[in-house]
Amino acid sequence: MSGTGDVRVDPYPAEMRASIERVEATRAGRLRDGPTAAMSAVERDELLKAFHPDYKEDKKRALAIGPSAGQLLPHEVAEVLEAYPLLEPEAVERLEPDIEVQVLVLGGGGAATVAALFAHEQGVPASEILIATKLRHGDCNTIMAQGGIQAADRPADSPPIHYLDVLGGGHYTNDAELARALVSDAPMIIDWHERLGILYDKVGGEYLEAHGGGTSRMRMHSAKDYTGMELMRVLRDEVRNLAIPVLEFATAVELLLDEEGQAAGAVLMNLETEEMTVVRAHATVLATGGFGRLHIQGYPTTNHYGATADGLVLAYRAGVPVIDMDSVQYHPTGVAYPAAILGQLATEKLRNQGAEPVNRDGNAFVYPLEPRDVEAAAIIRECYGRDGGVSTPSGVRGVWLDTPMIDEIHGKGTIKRRLAAMWMMWNRHGIDISVDPALVFPTLHYQNGGVEIDARGATAVPGLFAGGEVAGGVHGKNRLMGNSLLDCNVFGRRAGIAAAQWAQEHRPGKGTLSHVARYTASLESAGIPRARTAPMILPDYRREAVLARTLRGG
Amino acid sequence: MDPIAYFPGCSLKDSARPFELSALAVMEALGLPLIELPRWTCCGTVASLATDDLMHHVSSARNLVRTQETGGKELVALCSMCFNTLKQVAARVNGDVDARDKVNAFMDEEEDYEGGIDVLHLLELLRDRVGWDAVEERVNRPLFDVPVSAYYGCTLVRPKGVGIDGSDAPSVLGGLLEALGASVIATPFDTECCGSYQIVDRRDLAMDRALRIVVAAKTRGAEVIVTSCPLCQHNLEQAVGEFGEEALNGAAPAVVYFTELMAIAFGLEQVEVPARLQPVLDAHRLGATEGAT
Amino acid sequence: MSDEPATTRIFIMGKAYDVPAGVTIMDAMEYAGYRFVRGAGCRSGFCGACGTVYRKEGDYRLEFALACQEMVEDGIHLTQLPFTPAPREDYVLEDLDPTENVLLQHYPELARCVACNTCTKACPQDLEVMDYIQAALRGDLARVVELSFDCIQCGLCAMRCPADIKHYHMAQMARRLYGVSASPAPGHLAERLQEMEAGRYEDELDALVAASTEELKARYAERDIEKSSEESA
Repeated sequence: MSGTGDVRVDPYPAEMRASIERVEATRAGRLRDGPTAAMSAVERDELLKAFHPDYKEDKKRALAIGPSAGQLLPHEVAEVLEAYPLLEPEAVERLEPDIEVQVLVLGGGGAATVAALFAHEQGVPASEILIATKLRHGDCNTIMAQGGIQAADRPADSPPIHYLDVLGGGHYTNDAELARALVSDAPMIIDWHERLGILYDKVGGEYLEAHGGGTSRMRMHSAKDYTGMELMRVLRDEVRNLAIPVLEFATAVELLLDEEGQAAGAVLMNLETEEMTVVRAHATVLATGGFGRLHIQGYPTTNHYGATADGLVLAYRAGVPVIDMDSVQYHPTGVAYPAAILGQLATEKLRNQGAEPVNRDGNAFVYPLEPRDVEAAAIIRECYGRDGGVSTPSGVRGVWLDTPMIDEIHGKGTIKRRLAAMWMMWNRHGIDISVDPALVFPTLHYQNGGVEIDARGATAVPGLFAGGEVAGGVHGKNRLMGNSLLDCNVFGRRAGIAAAQWAQEHRPGKGTLSHVARYTASLESAGIPRARTAPMILPDYRREAVLARTLRGG
Repeated sequence: MDPIAYFPGCSLKDSARPFELSALAVMEALGLPLIELPRWTCCGTVASLATDDLMHHVSSARNLVRTQETGGKELVALCSMCFNTLKQVAARVNGDVDARDKVNAFMDEEEDYEGGIDVLHLLELLRDRVGWDAVEERVNRPLFDVPVSAYYGCTLVRPKGVGIDGSDAPSVLGGLLEALGASVIATPFDTECCGSYQIVDRRDLAMDRALRIVVAAKTRGAEVIVTSCPLCQHNLEQAVGEFGEEALNGAAPAVVYFTELMAIAFGLEQVEVPARLQPVLDAHRLGATEGAT
Repeated sequence: MSDEPATTRIFIMGKAYDVPAGVTIMDAMEYAGYRFVRGAGCRSGFCGACGTVYRKEGDYRLEFALACQEMVEDGIHLTQLPFTPAPREDYVLEDLDPTENVLLQHYPELARCVACNTCTKACPQDLEVMDYIQAALRGDLARVVELSFDCIQCGLCAMRCPADIKHYHMAQMARRLYGVSASPAPGHLAERLQEMEAGRYEDELDALVAASTEELKARYAERDIEKSSEESA
């Protein structure tokens, strides 16, 4: 833990400290003059095309096979989608189901938990629901969401206004019905949360609501900068109170479909023993989250250890099309220094509380709350297009986030009170962000696209539902802050309800893996190398030097 | 007078709230405000004195560190059990350097306790620092000889060196009651144990003792019994509630904290009069009057 | 990381490994060749999966940290504690009475607390754990909420407690109870729900859903942006 004695060692090397002094010199003027003006639509477009990683044509390719053949997406995603199964379809098919439930939920984060809770509310007994997750219940991206959840619940705001923000942020590529569902369900979700005892920040009985990038109203409900953690803890606690079974360290390695092509459950693998478990389910909900651990374009990521797009792989093999997979969200402010915590999330809330991005000469260069893709591109341009970045000993470049402005604007102690997690994250490395600015650079953060769903959360495969980050269309090509926590609640709920209704009326035939066999055949026809297998399950960070000497050769 | 760090103890924040509220009010009125010790911990009355294991004194000793952190040299407690526990532990760590060093070594996350903190009971503060004359001066509604039994219980006056008065014939409560204008009723059970924690799983024993105390007070004409400890208060109230008028041949004495009586005698309107005391006050025409203070 | 010189010696469950300086314990373990199954979750300090216990050479003190956040030091001896056996007490939120000490009712072992402060020393979030247990003993919900809020439920406090208390489960229940009993939603939420149920915004939303991209762009450009103020309400 922190606290190393009397000598205060500067956590920043000399050159960085010199740059900080320039930031301090301009701070009073910047506070007085207010932030840099927002960009016009034309300026935004030009910036994105020139500097956003999504626009590098050589970093993506068209899918060769499957329901979305021809769609462009990053190489790293194509590698896992165009890959052979881990298991032997014929052998596993012969196994009798070990477990039979009405509703199987795959995933261990917000969307999965909400889906299970609403399936239960819809009348499915707890014993007929199973949550199966790769790691522990709560090892997910939801738990790390920091800044807030959007909901238009104030008189000065409305769901139509929220809708406009969502569409504009998504470059008008969102699925209109999904966006409508997102903003319409939001107030009801907040109400549900209140009844569960979730503690949103309130002052004098009123919500503390803030702006996010691209929002026209302050509708971000927060729980300090632990919003996702507060939601996840309570939702998980309620699952436990209701005794809904949860199977941890049980990752899905294939979906099962019956002869009619209806979802019939999944094959799980115990991560610790490698034993497979066949789960027969009347309805299956895919809520497996994101893909940050694919490290698209070599970026570090904010995502949890298991975010390897497994759900995407399984659904694609089962014939579910994907959309907007060419759009990857890089969070503008990932940690750039110290290198030990490179790429970890520095919440947008820092900016909505007043910290502005500043270059190495102490000058502001961008409106602090542009939509994320624009903000990220602006920072990349500052560091690599304009030579305004700050260099670090590890070679990483970044810009300052002038965090001391927050206490200047809102009063001493604001950071420690409202941004406790952020203060602690840097303080463990001797950096007090209420005194010194922090260095940031974009980091791989969110899967904007995903499997296609309708407004009920249904996919093209009957009996297979999806919600949360794994699903696409809600955010179009760019998600706004606070709409992901909303997404996993809204579509987790819709998918859970739809799954419960389906399960109560349908029973699948015997589960088969013939779709996997067919997919394997098309991989062979396309000449995909045999060595490529998926799902990835977990990234491997062991060094080459070690792997080269292991018995199995890594 | 300088404000003094005050130790509430768990009961005073919960079932014994009236004790605290009345005490804070009267001490404010006397010009010696009690300031709640920051971050105080349970005195550990059960754990601390259960065995001779020094570890069990940590909870008590930590409060001495907290007191030291305020810069003060004294800590006053209201609950006699808290007072007794804290004082015994203070005596041990103040006087025994080895014991103090050990406790300090264990509490390595705190500043070292240097010793020298005195633990007082509110009654001795009233007697020795405020003085009965000053108390009497503050009375604007004297108790007109209301007969009050001065019940000490045991931890206020035992053992020697810890108790604030002799256990044979203590006089501190008597001094207070006289200053308030009450008439003091002495009984042979004034310093007998009320049954203490036995109320939890040997209720019969505790009720036995508690009832004897109440009966002794009643038969000698007491209409009120004052206590200085939430546990005594609880046990005596239980005895009154369980046996009531039947065993006592008429209305039971009202059992109240000494500070509640002080608040009434001081005419402190903001302190709620305990319901059971109202009939006594009415009978002596001391109820809430038309003349506001 | 692979190119950095391995100048720091650490002991993972007793075995010596040389790893680079300036990396987290988690990164160092992977550098050494470990591949986590247990003991790694969000890798950002929020999920509590990577609780780690260690000692520094020459220091008797036991230290506690999150492997994903703590930096390696030369000579540390470490192990992970990826799981704490601590079944929680089930409850029905609607049935809890905030006027009673439900915390003590569900977790009577709270009374065993001897205020030794071992839990506080074990907390990688620097929370005042003992203080919230003491607050729970007195039924002070608000203080339990205030002091336990940043808890990531890593379980290290419960593992170390000599009184076998399950701190974080009790605190979770306390926070939810406080949420429903002492932190009501503002009135405008119920108003908005009524409006939604009455279909107040259906026409507007219909129009937006049907609108062309050009229309949406125009309306988006015309949006008035609410001003950020000191305290937004």
